[in-house]
Amino acid sequence: MIDGTRVIDYHGHVGRWERYGMVDDPELLLGAMDAVGIDMACLFHIFHPDGTTGNDLTAQFVARNPDRFVGFAYVSPTMPDRMVPELERAIDKLGFPAIKLYPPYTPWPFNEEPWHPIYEFAQDRGLAIIFHTDHFINSRPRYFEDLAPAYPRVNFVSAHCGNVPEARAEAIAAAQKYPNVYLETCSTYRTPGVIEELVEKGGADRVLYGSDMPLMDPRPQIGKIITARISDKAKRMALGENAARLLNI
Amino acid sequence: MTSLTFSPRVPVIDANVCVGNHHTGPSPCQSPVQLLEEMDFHGVERAVIYHAQGEQISPTDGNEYLEDWLDKDGRLIPQWSVAPVETSMEQIAELHGRGRVRSVRMHDCQSAGLPFLPWGYDDLLTFLSDAGIPLWIPLMDVETDHLVTTFKAYPDLHAVLVGAHYTHALVVRGLLEASSRALLELSRYEPIGAVEALVERFGAERFVYGSWYPRYAMGPILFYLHHTRMDEDELARVCAGNVERLLGLGEGS
Repeated sequence: MIDGTRVIDYHGHVGRWERYGMVDDPELLLGAMDAVGIDMACLFHIFHPDGTTGNDLTAQFVARNPDRFVGFAYVSPTMPDRMVPELERAIDKLGFPAIKLYPPYTPWPFNEEPWHPIYEFAQDRGLAIIFHTDHFINSRPRYFEDLAPAYPRVNFVSAHCGNVPEARAEAIAAAQKYPNVYLETCSTYRTPGVIEELVEKGGADRVLYGSDMPLMDPRPQIGKIITARISDKAKRMALGENAARLLNI
Repeated sequence: MTSLTFSPRVPVIDANVCVGNHHTGPSPCQSPVQLLEEMDFHGVERAVIYHAQGEQISPTDGNEYLEDWLDKDGRLIPQWSVAPVETSMEQIAELHGRGRVRSVRMHDCQSAGLPFLPWGYDDLLTFLSDAGIPLWIPLMDVETDHLVTTFKAYPDLHAVLVGAHYTHALVVRGLLEASSRALLELSRYEPIGAVEALVERFGAERFVYGSWYPRYAMGPILFYLHHTRMDEDELARVCAGNVERLLGLGEGS
């Protein structure tokens, strides 16, 4: 809690990637979260294309601290027959409220046909999907302009907001055109003025704080919001109010 | 207790600020006044500044342009770019002769084929070691193995390793172990819990706050350092004391 606002980190991972210092030790995550008042974190496991393996690990991780962590479902179109059944299992049985997709681990841009069964599923259920986005061909935020009007019940979240200026501009443009596009803030590129730009151009009601923990520590990432030249109202929306609305919590 | 606003509890010197336009495009910060305003907004008292042209184009030109950024109050502390070439070494020697060199920063020579190894840097590193002048080394511009080799060849060299990223997670400890006179600047180092773990292993005296503004925002890492398990004394050293000691800065200098 920060000044009465429940803080929700919209971007975190389960899984280990030791060569980059990424260790999913719950005590490490909770210690960093507690140090800055982060109440809850959304987590997903993206290292298993079958979806099931990672989703089960996510569910186990969340079950140890269900008041602090929320699991998201992960699937990959590289195993197309498993996508929808695994989504049904993850949403209905594991209780995950949203979906994470990672286009760099596939051969396809995320507006192409192999991804659409996921979007149809999310449209039926009215779910949010968070996508890794960047400036490479599979992950361009401009694809939201194809998807957002076609699947109006889905909320599309641009993780990292494209990371670099050219892709960030695409994410902002999509958010300006469609009310179901959101802008998530975590990035190893902590360019000055980015948070201000997202709030001013995309709208404070579309910005979601995320950290990418445990690949990155949530503290400098939340520091981007706290030290930005935006209003307290915009900070509260980005830190938790928008995420709570998106997740119905 | 975290709040929606932040200001530092200890004096702060930003050990890594770039000024001027990079050859690839304009900087969002176009004047010393603008830089000082940014520092004031984040509670940064002083900053170690170098010129963008010194990174990859010309250390000598960059140093000349840097003069235009120096303020009369001394809040902006010059850091001179250097390369192991005659013109650059002569310029640094001349500045040193006038007592103006507190630190230097390595120009990127690796991308021009010169590895950071003793055979290419002996004159420069011998001079810096003898004079006690610390060298800032951007990690993106050197091979780790070369750094370890060269640190061992020049044990009296003071160095600040700049810009470690999570992709350096496997090498950071080895680099700090390779030289007891090497410090790590923290502008990009974000693996979860890493700052606390490194401070516990090596001591707070081996780390300095830097933002690498305007490449990165000035506030987030400073905010982070204020929300770790470091005690106030350790925080004060990381935020200013270590770089003050390294640069020989007295109170108010």
